[in-house]
Amino acid sequence: MRNRLESPHIPRREFFSRLSDGLYGTALATLLGEDLYSSSNPALAGNGVHDLKPRAPHYRPQAKAVIHLFMNGGPSQVDLFDPKPELARLAGSAPPRDILNKIEFADQVGGLFPSPYKFKRRGRCGMELSELLPHLGEVVDDITLIRSMYGEHFNHEPAIYLMHSGRTLPNRPSLGSWVVYGLGSETRNLPGYVVLDDPKGLPINREQNWQSAWLPPVYQGTRFRSEGPPVLNLESRRNLPSDLIEAERALLRRLDTAHRDARPREPELDARIASYELAARMQLATSDALDLSQEDEATREMYGLNDELTRSYGTRCLMARRLVERGVRFVQIFIEGQIWDAHTNLEKMLTYSCGKTDRPAAALVKDLKRRGLLEETLVIWGGEFGRMPLAQVADRGADGRDHGPDGFSIWMAGGGVKGGLTYGGTDDIGHKAVDQRVSVHDFHATLLHLLGMNYRDLVYRRHGLDERLTDQFPARVVEEILV
Amino acid sequence: MTPHSGNTMAFLRACRRMIWLAPLFFAPVTATGETAPDVFDSSIRPIIENNCVACHGESAPQAELDLRAPASILKGGKSGPAVVPGSADQSLLLDKVVSGAMPPGDAALGREEIAAIRGWIDRLGQAEAALAHADISEKDVLPIFLMRCVVCHGKRAQEGGLDLRTLAGRLRGGKSGPALVPGDPDASLLFQRIVHEEMPPADLLFKYRVRPPSTGEVENLRRWIAAGALADPPHDPGQDSELPLTGEDRGFWSFRSPKSPPVPKVARDALVRNPIDAFLLEKLEANGLSFSPEADRLTLMRRAYLDLVGMPPTASQIRAHLADESPDAYERMVEELLDSPHYGERWAQHWLDVAGYADTEGIKHADHFRPQAWRYRDYVIRSLNQDKPYDRFLVEQLAGDELADYKKEVTPDALEFLAATGFLRLASDPTDSPSNASLAEKMDVIHDEIQVLGSSVLGLTMGCARCHDHKYDPISQKDYYRLSAVFQSAYDPYDWLDPTQRYLDVGDPKEIEETKRFNAPIQKQIDDLERAWKAKTGPLRNQVLESRLAALPEALRQDLKALLKTPEDQRNTVQKYLQRRFQKTLKVTDQGLARENEELKPQLAEFNKSLGELKKKLKPKPAVRALFDMGSEGSPTYVLQRGNAETIGERVYPGVPAVLRAGLPEYDPEIPSGRTDTTGYRLALARWLTHPEHPLTSRVLVNRVWMHHFGRGIVSTPADFGRTGARPSHPELLDWLATWFVDRDWSLKSLHRLMMTSTAYRQSSGRGLQGEADPEGHLWSRMSLRRMQAEVLYDSMLRATGRLDPDRFGPADPVERMDDGEVIAQGTKNGWRRAIYTQKRRLLRMTFLDLFDAPQMAPNCTERISSNVAPQALQLMNGFLARKLSRHLAGRLVDAHPGRAEDQVRELYLRVLTRRPTPEEMQMTLESLSDLAEKWTRHLENEQDEAPRRTTAHWSALASVSHALLTSAEFSYID
Repeated sequence: MRNRLESPHIPRREFFSRLSDGLYGTALATLLGEDLYSSSNPALAGNGVHDLKPRAPHYRPQAKAVIHLFMNGGPSQVDLFDPKPELARLAGSAPPRDILNKIEFADQVGGLFPSPYKFKRRGRCGMELSELLPHLGEVVDDITLIRSMYGEHFNHEPAIYLMHSGRTLPNRPSLGSWVVYGLGSETRNLPGYVVLDDPKGLPINREQNWQSAWLPPVYQGTRFRSEGPPVLNLESRRNLPSDLIEAERALLRRLDTAHRDARPREPELDARIASYELAARMQLATSDALDLSQEDEATREMYGLNDELTRSYGTRCLMARRLVERGVRFVQIFIEGQIWDAHTNLEKMLTYSCGKTDRPAAALVKDLKRRGLLEETLVIWGGEFGRMPLAQVADRGADGRDHGPDGFSIWMAGGGVKGGLTYGGTDDIGHKAVDQRVSVHDFHATLLHLLGMNYRDLVYRRHGLDERLTDQFPARVVEEILV
Repeated sequence: MTPHSGNTMAFLRACRRMIWLAPLFFAPVTATGETAPDVFDSSIRPIIENNCVACHGESAPQAELDLRAPASILKGGKSGPAVVPGSADQSLLLDKVVSGAMPPGDAALGREEIAAIRGWIDRLGQAEAALAHADISEKDVLPIFLMRCVVCHGKRAQEGGLDLRTLAGRLRGGKSGPALVPGDPDASLLFQRIVHEEMPPADLLFKYRVRPPSTGEVENLRRWIAAGALADPPHDPGQDSELPLTGEDRGFWSFRSPKSPPVPKVARDALVRNPIDAFLLEKLEANGLSFSPEADRLTLMRRAYLDLVGMPPTASQIRAHLADESPDAYERMVEELLDSPHYGERWAQHWLDVAGYADTEGIKHADHFRPQAWRYRDYVIRSLNQDKPYDRFLVEQLAGDELADYKKEVTPDALEFLAATGFLRLASDPTDSPSNASLAEKMDVIHDEIQVLGSSVLGLTMGCARCHDHKYDPISQKDYYRLSAVFQSAYDPYDWLDPTQRYLDVGDPKEIEETKRFNAPIQKQIDDLERAWKAKTGPLRNQVLESRLAALPEALRQDLKALLKTPEDQRNTVQKYLQRRFQKTLKVTDQGLARENEELKPQLAEFNKSLGELKKKLKPKPAVRALFDMGSEGSPTYVLQRGNAETIGERVYPGVPAVLRAGLPEYDPEIPSGRTDTTGYRLALARWLTHPEHPLTSRVLVNRVWMHHFGRGIVSTPADFGRTGARPSHPELLDWLATWFVDRDWSLKSLHRLMMTSTAYRQSSGRGLQGEADPEGHLWSRMSLRRMQAEVLYDSMLRATGRLDPDRFGPADPVERMDDGEVIAQGTKNGWRRAIYTQKRRLLRMTFLDLFDAPQMAPNCTERISSNVAPQALQLMNGFLARKLSRHLAGRLVDAHPGRAEDQVRELYLRVLTRRPTPEEMQMTLESLSDLAEKWTRHLENEQDEAPRRTTAHWSALASVSHALLTSAEFSYID
């Protein structure tokens, strides 16, 4: 096993062979505990057994869990986070030549386009934020705003792959998969990596966003739906009476136990029986974790559950907090379609997307803080790229912005990052990150660092190579934003 | 020409210049050339001397990089310049030290040292940049032409009579005269056009996914012309620098041809049925072990069926086999299975895994569908069923287009060969979308194909060498680009065909005729619908166009009106330009129309819906998704420094990895006789790969077949026979098998027969059998317990329950997402077809297969994993498929043995578990059945209005029992 995080444990085969009976009984479930949610493949040379047992990080972590508010589509930095008075002065004039190298619709380039929104200083730190984000303004003293992110591709799919997996290509493990591979999970009743997608539709790249690719499937994100049955096949599609289900399972149990007993020392068969046990526990734990009726009215109000516009996103933010409370390691929240992707109609789109997400996202930070969870929970808000400070000329006018990967903003809160810090900056027109540039690989290295892992040492051996989240790219932990 | 056209052009050009040449934003360049060397001497040199020069110093510096002086740093090494003056962030040197990659080992540079290097690079000015480019050559400017010009001024199109591929072409120029005047950039038309941003034309940038050259590139171009526009010296292959190969490299076990070793003598020779047993026993005996006892007949039967055809036997097959008491009953069963059409369906899946088969492109959210991909799948199934020799199988897949002169005559053979080249068309290819068609993305496609070829056939990780010499194996970056050059006559990154253009319009005449007949009435409906829509919206469209034109300046309006009146093929250059420039204004799209006419919106939606439904009914016209050679005169191939398309290195020619050349005939492409349209590059590669003495091809294949039969390869890393891969556990056995296989004309069926009739294969499974002496079974002292692979589990459930639709071949069955998110295959009227006939959509993967580890192709899958996770339990316990199939099975059992519960249970065990229940099991199962029936009876009493025959308590109880057996461990595992 190349992952250097392995904690000492009893050799698996020995462990299982000691348990002769009581399978399906409470004794086994308790004894095996965290070992149940496992994926073993003795045939896979070099990578050993994979499970969700909690593992010690490389060094003391600041954060134990992550909530990633992924803003797919490309939120516009100059309208939300990165005030550029210079743009107003240059309104309408032509952009610099080399911008054209990094733009999706090179034949639709308009003039420089100042933000229609006002910026105000917020909080004790005086962070400048757009009037579109009034709620975030209430928690600026708890966040680090990075204004100098930059990516590698101007198109959604590759840029989203980059943000999730470190390369602009599909079929690489996602951020959450790497984290759970490295650290395991703190819960034995729930998956370690949970995805809360928008009931209105899957994001671009769909399930590829939370795939484990060539990492074992035990590290794949599990999708919890916030409406209807949360997990696929958690309950039977046909509503069978419970005594019938019980009788059928009793028969299966007898068959499986006999099958296993006739084949001693096959850990694979014990693990299979155990995975059925976990499936049963998950049914209870999931319903409990997602039951928001247990929350008081003030909390529901804070997350915007009583407002049509914010209810959907607020529900998922609140669920994320409940999951993290129960030991889930990595929660990712996606939004419907492309609500930040304002090629046209900038103002209408931003009003909607900010309206939908600003209040719940800020509530999440407040709520985690008052419960003492913020210190060990890292909240991340950001998309795959930003937008151009120029207008995009479309058929019906020039009231939108094209994609801008050369400079954009994200924010982070809790989990070992400073509060009230504005880090890095873009050029005068907000196009390109110039001060204290942070690459996506730097962002990944920093995230792993906060969780107590060194990005160079978190490796998985494949085809004779040590694979990393940051691949072979240079990366740097952005130490300036750490507490 | 209308009187206004000239004015319009001048006006537009002037506007654009004004816009683009605004100097406001150009970054000021500080020339601090004089001070930098001092800084270097005082603060940089000591760092470098202490940390770098041991390797990057005087004699034979590593990677040809000498770090001792600013000039040699700027010149760089194999990976290109080590620094970009003025931009530390883009400099390789800084990358390497910041990431800790350099210096190697634990000796990282300190923060202050890094800061000093950063500062020095950032302050490096033009003087140094000039120093670095003192010897500017054609290679430095080639990317400008190759990436930005030749799409219109190259092989396929020569706009304005201009061909910019070669220096001669540039000097000759086109209709407007020579494009290049050596020594005088200002007199060089091509430079002027680029500098004034007339070229590449702004309105074509998106379409061809071309980006204008950067300021730096334009400057390089100017300097190259000013220096005389010299050509690079002609290539002299004798001067090529090659990665030095040591005797150790050439002597590595997998790079030497296999020689058939003598079959060893063993003590227990009664156990030796064929040489496989002798080789295994030799090692077992040395460890004080022997084979485990032979498995019982039905265990063997189930194992053989699941291995060869991927489904358990039916009840009648079991009965027939048990009734056959002849001594060779087992051997004859193996023969029958090898003759079964289902054999090809099962083993095709193994090949499709390593080939990376998918029915969609992936990458783009739209997940573009490949309507003809199934022809390749069918080709593989047919070839395996015919026992096509493996060497032939490879030649067809690598160079089918070069085997038959398909342009002359489309014979059935030619169709088959063309379908075979689908092997090289399986990598994700997003390049039909302009925003995913950058040069790098085109090269990614070629890269994936090289990876697939390397890992599936050669057992080598070739992909590493794209950016640098292989770190572990003697594969150089040059080897990689030589291989890339073999493919370049079909995959030319500078003369690219997007995936929609890589179809050949050929097909079986009967199929073409049938499709035509099928589509004719639908096409008529479509035409009628479109005609009606056109007639209805025509006047409105004219109105909108008029109002758009009215908003334009008078001069322009007149020009555009004249343009519209001129038939398309008679338009002059200016009109063509205007047509492009104003295409959005001139073309009133349905959407544009609807935007301006609110009441049209619902009608448009209705029209589009009907149109879409009709179009869906159309059968795609037969065509072959193929890779085909585009003939000579392709673009040159270069080593790309660090794999970056914009840093061109040494020129290379088609060839094979140097380390594998010993003992094999030269790679020597020849144009197939009678052909002028193909280079023979891939055919030569295929012949070289399938040479009987090739050290890897046969070894890699027999190892794969062994792995599928015995659970683990003799080389446990089937895609890596290099230094980082595992060594063979039984090297003599591997070589014996490899040479035997070649001697048997590369016959796969002979290989299966040999392996499956060995004593080794017939052993019992079970870790308990040999104590702790062979804990992982690496000596094959027993068979190993294996979980069915995803497709086997799926197919077996269908087969055991009688819901398998045996229909073969043809377009894949669609998959769909149900309300709860589960993705399932659409059934047929007879149930469901085998998993291999369902669509493999990269972004819509069948939940069932996905959960049981059917691979995501990245770009292929060389070894499956076998996971054991709770969602699998949920799928089996609660999922729709197992539940539905159990009810069907119960119905069949009741029909076959009405009223006889014991017979029903016996039949159930036979169908599902391939055995009879023991008396205890019979008793237990009958008890469960009556218990369940009793419970069902109680529940059904509450729903009295619903009591037809099929929902009787007994039937439902039997369905529950069937469900338990179908989802039991015994069903999913192979002993």
